[in-house]
Amino acid sequence: MSKVETPESKTRTNGHAEFPIPYLGRTVRIVGKFENVDMNQSPHPKNQRGELGKPLFNWYHNTVSKDPLTRVSAPNHFADRRHFLSTVVNQAAKGKINPKKVPVNDPAAMARHIKAVARYVGADIVRIADAHPNFLYAAGGGRYVQDGTAKDEYSSYTPEQMSRKFPYIIMATTAWDYNKLQAHRHLIGDAAYHISQIKGNMILKALEGYIKELGYTALRGVAVPQAVGVASGVGELGRNGLVISKEYGARVHMPDPIMTDLPLVGDQPIDIGVDDFCKVCRKCANTCPTNSIPVGDKVVHNGVEKYKINWLTCYKLRPYVHDHWGSCLTCATVCPYTKPKTWWHNMATSSLHYCPYVLRPVLVKFLKWIDDRFWGLVRNARVTWLGYDSGVKPGEHACTVAGCNASHEKAGAKAVTGSVGYYAPLKENTNRFVKREP
Amino acid sequence: MAIRLPWSGKDTHKDDPFWDFFVNTPAADPTNSVIELIRNAPAGNIFPTKAELHTPEITSSHVKGMAQYFGAEMTGIAKLDADAPSNPDQLPFAILCAVHADYDPREAKGIGGQMPVQNGLFITFVLSSWVRELGFRATVVRDANTDALAARAGLGTLNGSGRLVTREFGAGVYVADAIYTDLPLAAGG
Repeated sequence: MSKVETPESKTRTNGHAEFPIPYLGRTVRIVGKFENVDMNQSPHPKNQRGELGKPLFNWYHNTVSKDPLTRVSAPNHFADRRHFLSTVVNQAAKGKINPKKVPVNDPAAMARHIKAVARYVGADIVRIADAHPNFLYAAGGGRYVQDGTAKDEYSSYTPEQMSRKFPYIIMATTAWDYNKLQAHRHLIGDAAYHISQIKGNMILKALEGYIKELGYTALRGVAVPQAVGVASGVGELGRNGLVISKEYGARVHMPDPIMTDLPLVGDQPIDIGVDDFCKVCRKCANTCPTNSIPVGDKVVHNGVEKYKINWLTCYKLRPYVHDHWGSCLTCATVCPYTKPKTWWHNMATSSLHYCPYVLRPVLVKFLKWIDDRFWGLVRNARVTWLGYDSGVKPGEHACTVAGCNASHEKAGAKAVTGSVGYYAPLKENTNRFVKREP
Repeated sequence: MAIRLPWSGKDTHKDDPFWDFFVNTPAADPTNSVIELIRNAPAGNIFPTKAELHTPEITSSHVKGMAQYFGAEMTGIAKLDADAPSNPDQLPFAILCAVHADYDPREAKGIGGQMPVQNGLFITFVLSSWVRELGFRATVVRDANTDALAARAGLGTLNGSGRLVTREFGAGVYVADAIYTDLPLAAGG
């Protein structure tokens, strides 16, 4: 599908009176010519067309996971598509907008209501962004709902027209389970990621249906999730390219948000010191198995100043590790912001929020010292969950369930002891099969 | 907006003028509800290779742990009567998952009031799919007398009107559709 270029959608420099350059917090700034992202040029659509090489194409289309839970929870690696909930709930919406519109006299009350509803249906973080053309996919590129479809009658609208007609974008997201995430690069970490992802898909679909029942339009697949995430204040953009939230750190999804004409009140970007922390920390860059995260400064990409990860090398690892895990998650796990939702974590992020800018480097160094001291420079905890054990070497089989006397044909590996998990491949192994960009 | 103190208990949403609509007004178009989407989805195939299992007791605890991770507050396993008319495939066990219900979905017909049903369907859909991917049969049975089966599985007792009452939630509990399965399990709550 070719992108339709209109004078309005082509390039945008310094904004104009109606849509001034949006404030996105301290981690991301629009500083130059910005062109709306064509959703067809994002990683998964490129891979679907086979533009990223045969191994990735085959991984995406033709691989079935060995793990039963992955086969029901991870996109594209199922044996039977009917077992994957997201393909069921992310079908193009058939529900009609209720002709009896619920009147909204107080948009602030409705904003509180829609957030309460989203939390009630299971979302962990709910924020609202004022719509801005820069947050939307380029006109004419279609809608992007991963593992599903979306159709609406506004696909020919420019981003400006869309932002005028639908002035709010709701981001409702789910967090990954902290304890399971500690087994990153492992099927247990995948369970944390994928189950909360399919649950998030269901929550957003329920919210979309409810907005229609209120008598308003709810559109999917129109906005760039990361942009809405930082603009609405879900979090700030980290060095690892992930939106880092106050409550959960980097362990939150950035799913497809909902654009709507329901009268609401937009939220503002937050400041939890991610900009100051990422300048110093570099834990994600140092532990990334594919060196996809920069150790240097921010760069300007498409007019946006930010840390720019190399998504291609990150993505290209996947076919080679498919037998052992689906989603790497190492950068999210080692991020010092990724902690359990506790009072002491809240205290740490609040102290960064209230700390004057000039003193933040000192506070960051202190907090990073605590993180290195108590959580370690890398994460290699041994995690066990329902028969899964990250202490078992990938490729080997061993039953480590206490009290199990069932006969296992494949068992026979050495007994697993200790509290250190087995996390492979490490950087030096990855160097053999990931071709790096210069 | 009313001030809520951390110890003031459950959020009653009394200051929300739209909450009653959310809980009690039935969807004008049922296809706006996720419930219909999931209920009408056909079941998938059973994976041709059976997964290596642990003992029935451990497999039961894994099924319960998995259901809990998907959001079930309580999970029990009931032994089924092989000759019961509701069990034409003569499957030996039923997995019962219960979720907390602020509102009784039989009375509160709004999208909010139906949330226990939606949460229950999420659990039963993913759990039954997982059992089929383990290589065993698993059928989500909507018409089964789930409250009685849940009582038999040890989740609680039945009150005068045949509803499940549990120690933790009282009658504020909703039992999701039962999953009939031939996965080797051990009955119990």
